[in-house]
Amino acid sequence: MTPRWILSALAGCILLFLVAPVVSVAVSSFSGGPIFVFPPSSFTLAWYGQIPPEYFHALTVSLEVGIGATATAVAVGVPAALALVRGYLPFSRALNALCLTPLMIPTLVIGVAALQFANVVYDAFKLSLLESIFGLILAHSAFTIPFVIRAVIAGQARFDHDIEAAALSLGATPVRTFFTITMPALAPSIASGAILAFLVSFDDVPVALFLGGGSATTLPVQIFNGTQFDLSPAILALSAIVSGGVLVFIAISGKIFGLDKFVDT
Amino acid sequence: MSGDDDLTGTDPAPASPAASRGRWAYLLLPALGVLTLVFLLPMINLGAKSFHLSVGAGREAAEYTLRNYVAFFSDSLYWELLGWTSVLGALVTLCTLALALPLSYFLARTRSRWRSVFLLLVVAPMLISVVIRNLGWLPILGEHGLVNWLLLSAGAVRDPVHLINNLLGVMIGLVHALLPFMILTLTAVIQRIAPELEEASVSLGARPIATFWRIVLPLALPGIVAGCLLVFSLSISAYTTPALMGGGRVIVMATYIQQQVSTLLDYAKGATVSMILLVWVSALSIVALRFGKSGAET
Repeated sequence: MTPRWILSALAGCILLFLVAPVVSVAVSSFSGGPIFVFPPSSFTLAWYGQIPPEYFHALTVSLEVGIGATATAVAVGVPAALALVRGYLPFSRALNALCLTPLMIPTLVIGVAALQFANVVYDAFKLSLLESIFGLILAHSAFTIPFVIRAVIAGQARFDHDIEAAALSLGATPVRTFFTITMPALAPSIASGAILAFLVSFDDVPVALFLGGGSATTLPVQIFNGTQFDLSPAILALSAIVSGGVLVFIAISGKIFGLDKFVDT
Repeated sequence: MSGDDDLTGTDPAPASPAASRGRWAYLLLPALGVLTLVFLLPMINLGAKSFHLSVGAGREAAEYTLRNYVAFFSDSLYWELLGWTSVLGALVTLCTLALALPLSYFLARTRSRWRSVFLLLVVAPMLISVVIRNLGWLPILGEHGLVNWLLLSAGAVRDPVHLINNLLGVMIGLVHALLPFMILTLTAVIQRIAPELEEASVSLGARPIATFWRIVLPLALPGIVAGCLLVFSLSISAYTTPALMGGGRVIVMATYIQQQVSTLLDYAKGATVSMILLVWVSALSIVALRFGKSGAET
């Protein structure tokens, strides 16, 4: 029985490594002493009251961009995934590839491409997409759409088409069948794709670093810049709050839709 | 996959299959339109930029040339950049594999009712902001951090060890960031290996370690290769972790591109190195896809 114990202990250590930085953010946000000194000399809640206002603004920017890019992804991605699976389209392999390749491209490269293309758009139409929430939503759509398409394609692979056939043979119209049978069955896939898309948009640094800035600075970029210049423990406090929010969000959606939906990388 | 047939077959006014396919095709148009605008055209524009010479900040000459690529491949500095990025990726992949194997095996075989909690602990760090996670390493790895406090208190070292703002810091950060991807890939593969095979091996007298090496590992090999290719390509494309954990002292391809574009406004060079990184990552992805297909067939 010894090897079992060794394995469990090893697994425990590796899990500890995985959660270490997250726990560390939470603990350090209560530290009363100088920043980043272990062990903390005292504990305080003061930092939670001193979060700079620009960080809250950045948080709202991130939420707006994340929600905008996710809504776009669901609006165009769900129909696209239906078409890709059911349409028997010509060039279907090429179309599939176009819809999914952005997931394989380094986000930094997407960011550079977006920045340079925004310059082209500005030269041609005098339309500035830099430092704007709209521009960030468009740029993030490059990877949020593929996340939703991939999830809904996977959802249809698990789908039992006999239910649709049954509804149709019982006299339901194709449209009614679609909205009462197909959509509810695909809802968990759509939701998991949307949640993943939102979290990836919410987490993005490279694209927002190139395109954002000014009043369209997202939270990760604000923190990123903060670590280079003025690192205050108040940033740790905000980070702890945001991490807690994301954790609760993941735990709840994992309970509803199944954690395995997020893990088919 | 036969949903379309079912729909048309029982449709009161059956449309021809071709017309029905046409209807589905319209649903693809919005996504194609948006992706063309936000992805395809920007990528084509980026590729085109790499074939122009830079003439001053943010401007390029009109004529097409291969000089950017010639300059890249004839300068040993760039070969070093490519080489170092790849060596770092390989080291990160090996460390990730070494850490992921025991945990994945444990997760695949455990019957603990805490299993879903363990899985959450694996997935959660992957979804919590990478900037916040890197911030969390500072109190642990910093000069006055937890690890140095433990080492100094134990008398193992006299002076604080530098664990961050260098290559080691970047490695720790990347291994941590990419470990969940490897764990999830390996756990899925090991779960598909019948436990009876291991029981047979043990009952025939093999020790658990030998069973793992000679039964589990060979059967998990396709998954191990797939996981390694995934982690390697994510590692060489990473920007945020090398930038934060390296403290500006570690230059990999991604940080180099960012420097060229943001600081030096040399869009042509940024585009060229971007295209080279892209080709490197795409080649790996294609190998991974091929490998995944052959693994699925056998």
